[in-house]
Amino acid sequence: MSQVNEMQAQLRKVAAELLETGTVGYIIGWGATRFPDRTTPVFIHDAKDADKLVWNEYCINGLAKYVLDDKIKDKKIGICVRGCDSRAINRLIIDNQLLREAVYLIGLPCEGKADKVKCGKCAHKNPVSYDVLIGDLVTETPVTDRFKAVEDLEKLSADEKHAYWSGVYEKCVRCFACRNVCPVCSCKECYADQYRVGWQGKQNNSVENWNYGLTRAYHVGDRCVECGECERVCPMDLPLMLQNRKMLKDINELFGDYECGLSDDRAPILGEYDLSDRDEYM
Amino acid sequence: MSVNKEWEPKILVFTCNWCTYTGADLAGLNRMKYPENVRLIRVPCSSRVNPQFILRAFMKGCDGVLVCGCHPGDCHYVSGNYFTRRRFMLMQRLLEYNGVDPERFQARWISGSEAAKFRDTMIRVSAQIKALGPNTKFREEWYVKGGIANEPSK
Amino acid sequence: MLLDKKRLKEALDILSREAKVLVPMGMDGIAKYTPWDGQKLPDLDIVNTMLPPKDTLFPQTEKMYNFTTGPNAQIAEVQATENQVLFGVRSCDARSIDCMDKAFLSGTFGDSFYSKKRENLTIIAVGCVKTGPFCFCDSMGLDPSSAPNADVQLADLGDAYAVTAQTERGTVVLDQWKSLLTEGEGDAPKPTCELKVNVPEDFAKKLLGMFEHPIWDEVSKPCLGCGTCTYVCPTCYCFDINAEKHGNEGTEFRCWDSCMFSDYARMAGGHNPRPSKKERVRNRYLHKLAYFNEQHGQLLCVGCGRCVQKCPSNMDITRFIDMAGEAIKNG
Repeated sequence: MSQVNEMQAQLRKVAAELLETGTVGYIIGWGATRFPDRTTPVFIHDAKDADKLVWNEYCINGLAKYVLDDKIKDKKIGICVRGCDSRAINRLIIDNQLLREAVYLIGLPCEGKADKVKCGKCAHKNPVSYDVLIGDLVTETPVTDRFKAVEDLEKLSADEKHAYWSGVYEKCVRCFACRNVCPVCSCKECYADQYRVGWQGKQNNSVENWNYGLTRAYHVGDRCVECGECERVCPMDLPLMLQNRKMLKDINELFGDYECGLSDDRAPILGEYDLSDRDEYM
Repeated sequence: MSVNKEWEPKILVFTCNWCTYTGADLAGLNRMKYPENVRLIRVPCSSRVNPQFILRAFMKGCDGVLVCGCHPGDCHYVSGNYFTRRRFMLMQRLLEYNGVDPERFQARWISGSEAAKFRDTMIRVSAQIKALGPNTKFREEWYVKGGIANEPSK
Repeated sequence: MLLDKKRLKEALDILSREAKVLVPMGMDGIAKYTPWDGQKLPDLDIVNTMLPPKDTLFPQTEKMYNFTTGPNAQIAEVQATENQVLFGVRSCDARSIDCMDKAFLSGTFGDSFYSKKRENLTIIAVGCVKTGPFCFCDSMGLDPSSAPNADVQLADLGDAYAVTAQTERGTVVLDQWKSLLTEGEGDAPKPTCELKVNVPEDFAKKLLGMFEHPIWDEVSKPCLGCGTCTYVCPTCYCFDINAEKHGNEGTEFRCWDSCMFSDYARMAGGHNPRPSKKERVRNRYLHKLAYFNEQHGQLLCVGCGRCVQKCPSNMDITRFIDMAGEAIKNG
């Protein structure tokens, strides 16, 4: 696509400029691997390496998590953001993991990448916040089936649902890829690593894995930015977004239309309350 | 100690110290009878209840869990139960979505003077869960088998 | 000897009489070694399973002891005694078992949980007909068509397998199969891997000399610190030991652990000698390419390519080997 090639050229130019002028300390973007259908996150420190940045349909990885690695005192961290990454950055700012001034966002409007499952329900093709925009903004298409898969699962009986999820968590290997790639999961020490406390055992069986899955879904809760990375990285192809979308569906129904990470100042749903919330416990 | 031949459910009830626990106390003072399978855990406020407690209760062999607190507007800590309300509406739905029978986890507002409501709630919940039978979903293997003596050597 | 492919089910039936037979099967799109159910034939057309067969000898969660505490404390060891057969193992996975043997059984202390299972395991390897896009076993010194440490080697000749016993245990298997085998020979296909990596000479020694090289910063940056690479790797054998206690009773078990987890090397008192992902990635690559070689004389990476395929950040050990080779050449 020539639009993509133009964007790649512009991206490299902008990146080189940012590094030369010293606006950013380094830039996080995507780079090529030995496989034509895969990219890997690259960290460009020198303007002359800016040509390592690529922008194509295989730029699938979410990059937001990498901004947590370093804290550079006097320079910003440049990062290429699509819609999902910019929402993730907002999420990190709201969670006080990151200062807005510490990052320089290179916005890249994205019409969906080669991973159709991850990009299938994308509601924000344009980055929601950026410092410089590469290319032109694209038209957003509304998502009509955001919660369809969740609704289909809800229709099953309790025993069927149990059998389904039991099977899913039987396969889980507790590699924690979902947690490590998630921009919301930024705790310095995850509850699952605190073995002495005892919430999570190290055994790998259906119940322990389910406990981990449900706890993570609940801890993420209202903060999920729907980037789809958890489902993409799972080596066992578990349908993790079904849990996260269920939380979001309930939040939408109970507490009003809600999408996380559209701006960097909205407090999370579970940290607020409304006196007129539905009450089912009288 | 008499031998109980019939299965009785284990129900965990988180009661807030200022309202529900007081209500339970009042029920006791008035010699109101309610089933012994409810085990109370006193918490300072219903919002102290971490959703992980619920998961752990089911893992460790509980057949039902109840979270009780002050009526909204009457929380001793002003706003605690508003958070409880939001939190447990979501948790309840998430648990149901994962296949836990919906009646196994419930929440109720019971104030300090509502001893009768406390008794009635305990009787009702106990009967509901007894009818559902022992919980096998989300329960750790050890509690399903009843001890390592019953475990097959792998 | 030849085994007609049409008689594969009978062959597996015969083995099942005395052992649990594990075959590669695709389950919901993820292929792994599962107990053969007697019906569905194994998926031998796939290049390789996603999950390695190390689970057979080194389960993800393995109960070690049941114990009771108190004045009459007792400990009862949980020992596996069943016979197992791993059918359809590729050269990379067969070599990985050889590596695990060295890790668990060499030295003065043999791991009894591993050795008990290993004694009761028969390995039936099948030579690869084709290689996958992520395979690079021949660059790591392996032959995709032959697994020298397997008990029986099968070669896919199209309509039949050429069957060769390579150990005494293999001879027993051929004996069990004697009613199914026919005379004959054939040339095994000899595929080569598309992905070639140039492993430099004396790589282990040279890598150890590069401990403080800036290459580690660059290579480790995309790492997320999850355990995916270690869990799909056929040769990763790190484990943790924990106990599950219920009142006075409990079970001590061991479970897979990953050196990529941030708290893996953390010691009592809180000190962590591998505080950032640079140290952890360096440790992992050095273990695969240098440390094991120094201790046991062979590479711990068998070139199966699973980590390359499954890494969430698309990190690539082959790329690292190439980069390291360049760095070594440039001095």
